[in-house]
Amino acid sequence: MATVPLIAPSEDFRRELRRRGGERASRCYQCATCSAVCELAPEGRPFPRRQVLLAQWGQGDQLATDPAVWLCHQCNDCTVRCPRDVRPGDLMQVVRAMVIERLAAPAFLGRLVANVRSTWPVVLGAPLLLWVLLLGLTGHLGVPPGFHAYDQLVPHWLIYSVFFPVAAFVLWAAWVSGRRFWTLLGSVGPPRKGSFLASLVPVFGEISTHGRFSNCEAGRPRRWGHLALLWGFVGAAVTSGLLVVALYGFGAQLPLPLDHPFKILGNISAVLLVVGGVILLINRLGDPQKTGASTAFDRFFLTVVLLVIATGVLAEVGRFFFPAAVACSIYIVHLSVVLTLFVTFPYSKFAHMLYRTLAMVHERMTG
Amino acid sequence: MNDQDSLPVLVVGAGVSGITAALEAAETGASVVLVERQPYVGGRVAGFYHYFPKMCPPSCGLEINVQRLERNPRVRVLTETRVSAAEQVDGGWRVTLERAPAYVTEACTGCGECSKVCPVSVVDEFNHGMSSSPAIRLSHPQAWPQRFVIERAACADGCEACVQSCAYDAIHLDATVTTEELQVGSVVLATGWQPYPLEKLSELGGGVLPDVISNVQMERLASPSGPTAGQILCPSTGQPPRRVAFVQCAGSRDVNHLPYCSGICCLASLKHAQYVKDQHPDTEVSIFYIDRRTPGRNEDVLTRIGDMDGVRLVKGKVGKVEAGDGGLVLTVEDVEAGRKLHEQADLVVLATGMVPTGNGESPFGIARDEDGFALDDFDRGLVVAGVARRPTDVAAAVRDATGSAARALAAAERGA
Amino acid sequence: MEHVGVFLCSGCGIGDALDLEAVASAAEDSGGALCHTHPCLCAEEGIALVRESLSSGEADGLVIAACSQRVKCKAFSFDSATPVQRVGLREQVTWSHPPNDEDTQMLAEDLVRMGVARVLKSKPPVRQEEEIADTVLVVGGGLTGLEAAAAAAGLGKPVVLLEKEAELGGHLAGIGELAPAGPPYDQLHENPVSNLIEQVRSNSRIRVLTSAVLRGISGQPGQFKVEVAAGGGDETFMAGAIVQATGARPYDAHRLAHLGYGEQADVITSAELDAMLEAGSLTRPSNGETPQRVAFVQCAGSRDAEHLLYCSGECCATTLRQAARLRRDYPDVEPCVVYRDIRMPGQQERFYLAVQEEGGTLLMRGEVDGVGGNGNGRLAVHLRESLLGDDARLEADLVVLAVGMVPNSADGEAIRALHDAQQRVEHGESETQREEARKVAERLAAHEGTEILHLGYRQGPDLPVLQYGFPDSHYICFPYETRRTGIYSAGALRAPMDPAQAVEDAWGAALKAVQCIEAARRGEAVHPRSGDLGAPDFFLQRCTQCKRCTEECPFGTLNEDEKGTPQLNVLRCRRCGICMGACPERIISFPDYSVDAVASMIKAIEVPEEEDEKPRIVALMCENDALPALDAAARLGRTWSPWIRIVPVRCLGSVNIVWIADSLSRGVDGVILVGCKYGDDAQCHYIRGSELASKRLENVQETLDRLALEPERIKLVELAHNEFDRVPTILDEFAAEIEEMDPNPYKGF
Repeated sequence: MATVPLIAPSEDFRRELRRRGGERASRCYQCATCSAVCELAPEGRPFPRRQVLLAQWGQGDQLATDPAVWLCHQCNDCTVRCPRDVRPGDLMQVVRAMVIERLAAPAFLGRLVANVRSTWPVVLGAPLLLWVLLLGLTGHLGVPPGFHAYDQLVPHWLIYSVFFPVAAFVLWAAWVSGRRFWTLLGSVGPPRKGSFLASLVPVFGEISTHGRFSNCEAGRPRRWGHLALLWGFVGAAVTSGLLVVALYGFGAQLPLPLDHPFKILGNISAVLLVVGGVILLINRLGDPQKTGASTAFDRFFLTVVLLVIATGVLAEVGRFFFPAAVACSIYIVHLSVVLTLFVTFPYSKFAHMLYRTLAMVHERMTG
Repeated sequence: MNDQDSLPVLVVGAGVSGITAALEAAETGASVVLVERQPYVGGRVAGFYHYFPKMCPPSCGLEINVQRLERNPRVRVLTETRVSAAEQVDGGWRVTLERAPAYVTEACTGCGECSKVCPVSVVDEFNHGMSSSPAIRLSHPQAWPQRFVIERAACADGCEACVQSCAYDAIHLDATVTTEELQVGSVVLATGWQPYPLEKLSELGGGVLPDVISNVQMERLASPSGPTAGQILCPSTGQPPRRVAFVQCAGSRDVNHLPYCSGICCLASLKHAQYVKDQHPDTEVSIFYIDRRTPGRNEDVLTRIGDMDGVRLVKGKVGKVEAGDGGLVLTVEDVEAGRKLHEQADLVVLATGMVPTGNGESPFGIARDEDGFALDDFDRGLVVAGVARRPTDVAAAVRDATGSAARALAAAERGA
Repeated sequence: MEHVGVFLCSGCGIGDALDLEAVASAAEDSGGALCHTHPCLCAEEGIALVRESLSSGEADGLVIAACSQRVKCKAFSFDSATPVQRVGLREQVTWSHPPNDEDTQMLAEDLVRMGVARVLKSKPPVRQEEEIADTVLVVGGGLTGLEAAAAAAGLGKPVVLLEKEAELGGHLAGIGELAPAGPPYDQLHENPVSNLIEQVRSNSRIRVLTSAVLRGISGQPGQFKVEVAAGGGDETFMAGAIVQATGARPYDAHRLAHLGYGEQADVITSAELDAMLEAGSLTRPSNGETPQRVAFVQCAGSRDAEHLLYCSGECCATTLRQAARLRRDYPDVEPCVVYRDIRMPGQQERFYLAVQEEGGTLLMRGEVDGVGGNGNGRLAVHLRESLLGDDARLEADLVVLAVGMVPNSADGEAIRALHDAQQRVEHGESETQREEARKVAERLAAHEGTEILHLGYRQGPDLPVLQYGFPDSHYICFPYETRRTGIYSAGALRAPMDPAQAVEDAWGAALKAVQCIEAARRGEAVHPRSGDLGAPDFFLQRCTQCKRCTEECPFGTLNEDEKGTPQLNVLRCRRCGICMGACPERIISFPDYSVDAVASMIKAIEVPEEEDEKPRIVALMCENDALPALDAAARLGRTWSPWIRIVPVRCLGSVNIVWIADSLSRGVDGVILVGCKYGDDAQCHYIRGSELASKRLENVQETLDRLALEPERIKLVELAHNEFDRVPTILDEFAAEIEEMDPNPYKGF
């Protein structure tokens, strides 16, 4: 009998689930309407009915190894139809947050972000403090005379010396968490076939259009928000990369003229980010049944994204229209929220880019 | 016990519960007034083909009850009547009964000549809209009272064909609403239920796809007096179905629809599975459920019908019913197998639940629970019977109605 | 009756299709004292015509030849002393046969002749005047019994409530709270039993006898003689009707060794958990510690081919109630429920949701294979769970078996059979008979000494049971139709039910008890022929003590004296006529329904000569189901063979074989009996009338052999009330079969 798995309900997991807003899981009576209406659930391994039961019974280990948790896009078709108002879509979101925390490296950062409801002053304040401190120490705190470009305020080397190590750290943290996740995924279920890369390419293709969203009813508007944000961020990243190349490869001068192709690309990205952010914000304020309930964890991520966009746009505009002191302050805030966004990437909702991508690759490789 | 001076018991609703309450009180010696909105007694079950678990026709029990009504001098039956006002008075209630215009009077012999000449055809509500009938007709072949009824609004202007055909001067197209005041000792509310509207279940094809029908429609399809003379056929093609799927809890146990369990649908669908298998032995039947609720001795129904060849019970609630190539497609998770099914069917039966009739409108000011089921108010001489109180099967409704007759008599006895 | 007034209606097209003058002369020739024709007999004027003939003394019995006997009953009911025979010219003749046709005309004339013949042989009923006891006896002082006592008292009747234990309250007595029975249906509510006990104790109409032993009940409704030992002495009193509310008990958990009961100290039943909860000491019997996880195993011994096949209908609610209680009183305890289906019908679903919503109770669907030790001092529940699809093991400190309920009933018929067999073992005529009897006695040995009511009935000392030991009604529409008039079972005894349903049931049974007393006082039968005043008459001088009537009466009406002569208890009689059908000596008659009356109807049929090639068929049709089906067929314009002469009967069980013999010996070519479906799901309103008829028909073969007639001339068909589309076909097919045969050679004899 020892081979028969023991169902050991973890009270800790259940308590944590309740604390994070997943308490409705206990209402589920396993009718499976959710799995039936979910357009994303694979035929052979439908979700989220099974995952709701696992959550109900506190089966954290099983949830951590379950790709379905990540294949869910929280489109909330299930939530709209759930006869017991369990809100499975939101529950999956809570479970994802719990998995992110569980796999986080280092763990304390995971905990910090997971508990953002109380830790937010630290998460937002520390980067700001860091920038103020760095600028003060390097003697850049204050409005530069003859201000016309932000590199007068924050020299490029300072930006690089902050963001390059941070990027390295984030990459390391994502790598560690990603590896942990990949191993866990592989520890159960059917064996993977084929190469990682061969599966990654089509997954990227899919992500580039957010095609899965189009299957959803209730969450359809969110597709465009997500897509705009995705491409906005991609555009911003590409612009930043091109900028570095332009600066050092071709000796370009900052600020770039407004009709410079890079500037145009950057502005298009900004517009996409604004549009995406606004869509998601409006969506959040809409019918919670369809859009999903917001937890502090969700709200924090969206807030940071919106702050990045808002401060970015304001900084750009402010350079021309605001008093220099105001524009400079906005720019410092912008740098600090970008830093928050960067640092928290492996621990915040942002991490879904990592885990969902891996889960989708895993899904392809296991057929 | 009830002497001649006692006030009568008023029973509102002449479905199986109301008839029972009325007869049981009358046979105990009380005088009873039984009012019914419809032109016939029997209520919902009058349209049913069989009862579970015995698979016997409801009309059989109604026959006995109708004969009891026909012969008992202490019961007065008023069809096409409703209680329009009620006022609590010393020792009971003073009620106003509003009687629909008696276009066809009690002089009607039921000969049927009027139906033959009627030029207008109307949708037959008794068959849930699945057939039509002349505007003047007998509600159904075994209707009681055996008096014809006219859907006056459907008459052509100035048409008097039926009047001229009637040899007994039983048809008066200028009849008007009449009212009657009555003092009663106590009241039994047996106002029954309505089927949950199919149209509210559009995601399951209800009201959208012609071959998605409700369980009450299934009863009519199987009934010899139904629209197909008892043949279970797909409405769209008129062909026998090769695959029939039952969607349990269609609108029940669902916070988006009815939060309660209607208590009868599991057994009704099992019964319907047998209807199908009796007529079309090779037809595949699938029943998709959340829990198989067949309590008590009715467990035998689950065992007997669930074990039939070609009858399959699948744990999993249907999420979607859509039109597909060559039929309907149901999307559902087979929970036990842990996989999603796209089940093909020619006929889909939604096991819709029971909604208490008249929620929110009662001249008696009866208290109701959150779901609209009425609550006894013994001190005011109001008692509830059958499904008006709780969703139950017929046996339990009749049991409750008998008890309600007792409570009504006890309330009147105390009030008197 | 001597002066039969015949009234013909020419309305509804009857007059257009028939030569009513010829029908009238047929009526007069066959003994009708007068005959009137009216264009609309059911109209006031027509009714007045009939009344006039009665008040003037011209007529003392009536034949109303108009529409079916099932319609316009109130219009055509006069006084109870006047026998009325309705002849359905409209349904049976003109709607269903071609107009102005020789055969149609002959049919109408025959039917009217038959009506006249029957009324000539009818008598007015003699109203029974008996002394009737008003007291309702309630047996069992649990929730149902208490409620029934309160209900009967509320209806103004004196009540005696018997309880065998020293205290009232039954098995719910010690439980503080029950699952919700009223809105908002989401929380535990106070057990009503203790209040009810107080209410019953203080009710001046109710006499409570505790520690009571029921020694015997004899007599009949309105006149039950009850012998009881209570309070140290014996006493005897009269009761009018009885409510049996002896409840149910948990299934013997010792039979559930595979679930660990009796083997593992920490496996207990729901009832044992209730005791712990009420005592405030939730502990593991093995070590006295407070359990952390409590696993509930649903359907323990229910829905199980090796134990109880049925679902007890209350265990899910009980378990959820206990889980709610555990979570409230012991917040650290983790209740886990293993279920097959959660059965919380109706508004109870709200309680299920409330328990889930609280969050501390876990539910898992699966089949439990066994419960055993887990090697670490805890228990392991082994299950095949069906939500994730794995075999699984659940650790628990305490396992609660939600065992089903078994009715506290006694199988009256089995006890009787056992006693009969024991008699035969002692006094059997042959060794083989004694050996057979020994086997029967052995098989039924478990029923020895199980009597509860100790009824002095020939058919056994307790109510017959239906299935699984429940003395339930056989009828969906008539849940109180137990087979002993005036004795009503209620509550968990009658059928699996929860406390809320038991309370309703108690009121229903109390009403039926009171109603039966009132009917007895009026001298009327109760359901289904409620209001019938016509009691049976036994001409005992000719009785041969064959005991068929005493054995076949479905209602235990007849007792026997030592010689086996039937002793009529008229107040138990339901007027079905099964005794009349059973009696080979034809000594049993009802005032308006007798062997002689129906035989006269058959004799009134004019059987044409062989060369006329007009066969004649007698159709004996049950008036509860077959006849209504025929009426509906006629309404829908269906037609059938004109050779058929329909004789409505109360029940096929009342058909006396002599009618068949009479028909055949008079030259009738075939006899068809159409009655209700029989078997396990019988639809007969008298339990097994049509089944008895089919058995009796086997004996008719002898008669046929004697007459040298084909066995196919007699046929019995089962028909349901709604099979109106089938009934004309049945009749036509039989007519065709008869036409195939040679004519009955007895024509003209």
